[in-house]
Amino acid sequence: MRSAERQLLRTGLRYALGIRTVVPAVSSLAVLVLETPRSPALTVAVVLALNAWNLWFAYRFPRGSGRWLVPVDVLAHCAVCLSQAWTVDPEVNARGTNWVLVVASITVVSYPWQLSARALAAATVAIMAAYVGGAALAAPDPWQVLTPIQLWMGVEALLSRALYLLVRRGAKAADELVAHGERLRRDAAVAAARRADEREYLAALHDTASATLFMVGVGVVGGREQWLSRQAERDLKVITGYAEVPDGEADLVALLHEVIHHVPLRVRCAAPETLRMPAVEAVALCHGVREALTNVVRHAGVAEAEIRVERRGDLVVVEVADRGLGFDPARVTGHRYGVTRSLMERMARTGGRAEVVSSPGAGTVVRMECSLAAPAPPEGDAEVIAGRYMQGLRWAVLGMNLVILYALDLPKLLANLDSYDPWWAQPSVMAALTGVTAVAGVATARRRPLGWARWPLLAVVFAASVLGTASVRADHRLGVAHWSEGDAAWWVVLLLLDSGLPVFVLVVAAQYATTFAHVAWLGGSALTLANVVHATMIVLSFQITVGVIAAVLRPIARSAARMAAEEERLRTAEVVAGQLHQDRKERYAALGETTTPLLRGLASGELDPGDETVRRRCAVEAARMRRLFAEDATVPDPLLHELRACIELAERTGITVLFAERGERPPVPKHVRLALTEPVVAALATAASSARVTVVGARDALTVSVVADAPPESVTAVDQAGVITSVVTDGRQVRVKATWRGGT
Amino acid sequence: MITVAVVDDHPVVVAGIRTWCSLADPPITVVDSGPTVSVAWLEPGASADVVVLDLQLDMGGPAYGDLKRLVDAGRQVVIYTMRDDKETALTCLEIGAFTCLTKAEGEAHLVAAVTAAARNEPYTPPALSGALGTDTRPNRPRLAPREVDVLLEWFHCESKEMVAKELNLSVRTVNSYLARVRVKYANVGRHAPTKAALVARAIQDGLISVDEL
Repeated sequence: MRSAERQLLRTGLRYALGIRTVVPAVSSLAVLVLETPRSPALTVAVVLALNAWNLWFAYRFPRGSGRWLVPVDVLAHCAVCLSQAWTVDPEVNARGTNWVLVVASITVVSYPWQLSARALAAATVAIMAAYVGGAALAAPDPWQVLTPIQLWMGVEALLSRALYLLVRRGAKAADELVAHGERLRRDAAVAAARRADEREYLAALHDTASATLFMVGVGVVGGREQWLSRQAERDLKVITGYAEVPDGEADLVALLHEVIHHVPLRVRCAAPETLRMPAVEAVALCHGVREALTNVVRHAGVAEAEIRVERRGDLVVVEVADRGLGFDPARVTGHRYGVTRSLMERMARTGGRAEVVSSPGAGTVVRMECSLAAPAPPEGDAEVIAGRYMQGLRWAVLGMNLVILYALDLPKLLANLDSYDPWWAQPSVMAALTGVTAVAGVATARRRPLGWARWPLLAVVFAASVLGTASVRADHRLGVAHWSEGDAAWWVVLLLLDSGLPVFVLVVAAQYATTFAHVAWLGGSALTLANVVHATMIVLSFQITVGVIAAVLRPIARSAARMAAEEERLRTAEVVAGQLHQDRKERYAALGETTTPLLRGLASGELDPGDETVRRRCAVEAARMRRLFAEDATVPDPLLHELRACIELAERTGITVLFAERGERPPVPKHVRLALTEPVVAALATAASSARVTVVGARDALTVSVVADAPPESVTAVDQAGVITSVVTDGRQVRVKATWRGGT
Repeated sequence: MITVAVVDDHPVVVAGIRTWCSLADPPITVVDSGPTVSVAWLEPGASADVVVLDLQLDMGGPAYGDLKRLVDAGRQVVIYTMRDDKETALTCLEIGAFTCLTKAEGEAHLVAAVTAAARNEPYTPPALSGALGTDTRPNRPRLAPREVDVLLEWFHCESKEMVAKELNLSVRTVNSYLARVRVKYANVGRHAPTKAALVARAIQDGLISVDEL
């Protein structure tokens, strides 16, 4: 069961328990004032015991205290029903509705929110039987006359159950819609998180292992150096760290001090003592700061920088400022991993943002922001849920009105034809109400609100009610024959379901008041005041209940949407974590074969960075990483994109590279691209001065070839992923050709 | 003595060509040079043996019209262009250019191409070779698989020795394959006096038989 349905049942139960406590209380306490039952002492005892029990029931039931509660409740109500002979004023009993009927009816009407269908049926039958039995004991003479009205209790139970089912169906439909939206959002979130994590990882590699290996590869380091070992050790830590999925919180300030410690700059840091925040965002900010400080070292030409850390509400702001050379941000473009990609994108990935304010000569300020606020629940979910609830409720009320009109009121009309003057007025009232029902039905079927049309319809209902009252003979007013009294308010309910509780209650009360005032003005009544109170209580409470349900559906929908969003966040986080864990394990395994042993060797001093072989291995590894950074499935030609990235790296180290391509190429899967470009990576990384890289698609084959003045031992022919590699050497030139025929 | 007229709007390119030509053995004389094709039509350029033509002379498209007029006048034109794509090379050959060089190939191939043009012997530099080897147009000449192998390997390696090693051939055979392909291309498409002369010369030299064409 999902949030909308769960929330509906929970709130519905609460209201049902409230109604079945309050209405019997009002009705039964009224007895003590208005009636003179046969046994006043017993009546007081029964009324007090019943209300005490109802309070206890309302308290215990939601807390699920055992299976005995409902059977005892049914038995208690049966006992009250059987006590009618002593607890009901005979005068009231003879004329119509008494307080016991109110108690029994409301209890039965509230049962659908507490009981299953079978239990509901059993409880209803038991209470009805007890009621009829009690009525027969109380007044053996006229009891058969009133039996049809008493049996109406069963129909009320059915109607209440129908209302419950329809609104619940609406909740289910809303849940399905919301769940569909959630699935779409979750898939998108997982995909985004995977991409973000991959880029995050690549950015980290770029800042650490790649930079170190490149440096060794181009021969900057002449021999074993302590700082290089330490750097390699830190790089290893970063790579290993990425095998774990970060969760929980971290102290941003502590992390920043760690970063500052490793930068050859004097850094002034204005920050709070500690700043706890989600680890993912904290790490992203730290990486951003490290990148910014590295840029200060490389480009600013000053030896000091300033960091400011601030928390403004849900926003964490980190600024890195220097008074160095500055630059023109508009001129920093292209696909290099510079300020743009590794900083701004990194922040955007974790839901933050970064901006770089700089101009030549005026220093640079890098400002990063990260929001800690939980994302708001998706707009519209609450609307969807509320709409579905409301639709269910509207159908329920429509059905209920028709059942009341034709199953309860029509028999009353036909049985009392001689109580009306003129007789035709009553069928006219019935026709008018049927017409109003039809109009509301069409609007509901079309899912259109009634809008202004409700007011003329309401006028029709009031007019019908006045006509109904006026055409009942004086001695039958408010009696059984006067069916439109009370029941006409059901059409007010139907028309004003979505107009807000105050308007709803006001107009329903106005409808009753009109009828009572009308009767008072005309004079004459079939009932005692107590009868009127009970009869009004029984119908009005049901009507107000429906109005309250309509009014609370919107708040229920809102909290259901909030809960759905929260659940979605948790489920998404779970899926994302699982997926990222898998991705990271795979990536770490891929690095484990080549990069990790190299870094480990450099860290321990086992490998000498001055050694030619080590230097070449590092150069090749750095080039492989450059290719990895260039991997991007969204560019039109990923193969050329990756090759160009490798060529660009080689050109930065002073190698002249000629690149040419001819022919049509099929799309190349990622693992094939890896195998095809591997010789180029190795040859370019170890070439002495020049290289020629060519790509040809012809005769169903794709060939990537490289000719370079590289040492032959640095390139090896490895056939994998359906790619066949051959190596030819000619003088100082080595030529590697990788061919793939899998594209057709 | 081979004479050449250079049509290129970039002074550095012209200076480069002059240097390469003066260092050639035997030396080649650049009789005139300039940014418009008029240097090829007016003396002393009008009587030069070979015209080196830059395809991109102004903001307009490639100078195919100028090339066509030169070819129709029986001039040997070596295209020397920034454009490194298959279509440009194939179009120039179709019109009747003697050969096409990309500017990246200039240092290694321009002098040889001019010399070959003056002698009316086929010359196929690697970039053009790649274009011929991946030609998929319906009106292309029929090439033997081995000929395509040689074309593509020459494009990949830019070293006849390496091609020979890779394909288990002699350098001589590699050269003759390239020459035959070039002649086959001269024999298809639009008629041009230069193309006819190339074919006639090849048959005369026994490079290719009439049946093979």
